[in-house]
Amino acid sequence: MTLDPPWRPPAWELDPSQPLYEQIAHRIRVEIAAARLPKGTRLPSVRDLAASLRVTPNTVMRAYAELEQDGLLETFRGQGTFVAREPGVEARARARIARQAFEHVRRVAADLGMRVEDLLRLGAEEEGGDEDARSH
Amino acid sequence: MRAAIECDRVGFAYAKRPILHEISLRIQAGEMVGLLGPNGAGKTTLLWIIAGILRPEAGHVRVLGQAPGWRTLFHTALLPERGHLPGWLTVGEWFTHARRLYPDWSEESERRLVADLALRLDRPIARLSRGEVTRVGLITCLARRAEVVLLDEPFTGIDPLGREIIASAMVRECGELGRTVLMATHDVRELEPLFDRVLFLKDGSIAADETADAIRARGLSVASRYREVFSP
Repeated sequence: MTLDPPWRPPAWELDPSQPLYEQIAHRIRVEIAAARLPKGTRLPSVRDLAASLRVTPNTVMRAYAELEQDGLLETFRGQGTFVAREPGVEARARARIARQAFEHVRRVAADLGMRVEDLLRLGAEEEGGDEDARSH
Repeated sequence: MRAAIECDRVGFAYAKRPILHEISLRIQAGEMVGLLGPNGAGKTTLLWIIAGILRPEAGHVRVLGQAPGWRTLFHTALLPERGHLPGWLTVGEWFTHARRLYPDWSEESERRLVADLALRLDRPIARLSRGEVTRVGLITCLARRAEVVLLDEPFTGIDPLGREIIASAMVRECGELGRTVLMATHDVRELEPLFDRVLFLKDGSIAADETADAIRARGLSVASRYREVFSP
């Protein structure tokens, strides 16, 4: 069996004040959710991804382990790590990202003492307002 | 997990001036650890004790389960901050010598590193810049298959782009074998993504021993934590 060359990650800038493995897992999850990383795509080896992102191999191992636990990646001994082939992988990745985005909105709403619906409505109005301002 | 480096209440004084006091630490095999602190904190002395160059005056050291000595020298590679490479040799001649000096030398790694770090082999070591001497020292460390790698200020004299290239090469060469790396530096910002864990050395004692992720989970970078630990 011949393997395709593994997918090359874009040059991600990582924030040093947040856990690096979480950021790497999140970026890969987004790629899967957006179908830029289709089912069955081979990921770089731990060592290659660590070298290209300039992080420790343990960091990449932890990111891969988290994504495996979520069922988004699967590792086959001697072959490497792949985007899981089971159906619904994209949907699952999207659901997780949506939940994180929602939690963020809820936190902001709580900070402001607003209801989530009101915050979203205000945000939509503001964006509409910006577009009006730009078109004039 | 197996401990690659263990120190148990290690103490050291130089001409009656205390340098290290009750240093206890444990580094797992395959970990990449930063030994951080300002100049004069005792980082170099601790690396030299682990490398077997200096003997501790108190306490015990174990490298791969053994006291530092001729046996552990085979498994330990040290990049000294101020190396003394023979200046009359060219870079290529030095590597030819090193191949015979070190039984664990990998010519494949050497070739890869020389290409990546863009070193010219035909120049005498005496004419190299500070950064080029650091590169020769790094290649001498990383081309060996030593399980424990000790680096003292690995970015001395190297520009930002060169640092990125070296960081990649370091991860690649060490990740392959699951090597244990201990890096002493005060250059935290550039190196912090390469640390699984950090030891803060303050006036000869370990002021804090934390995983980088535990620091980041509090919304701090290792550089900010460094400032917290060392600002008066």
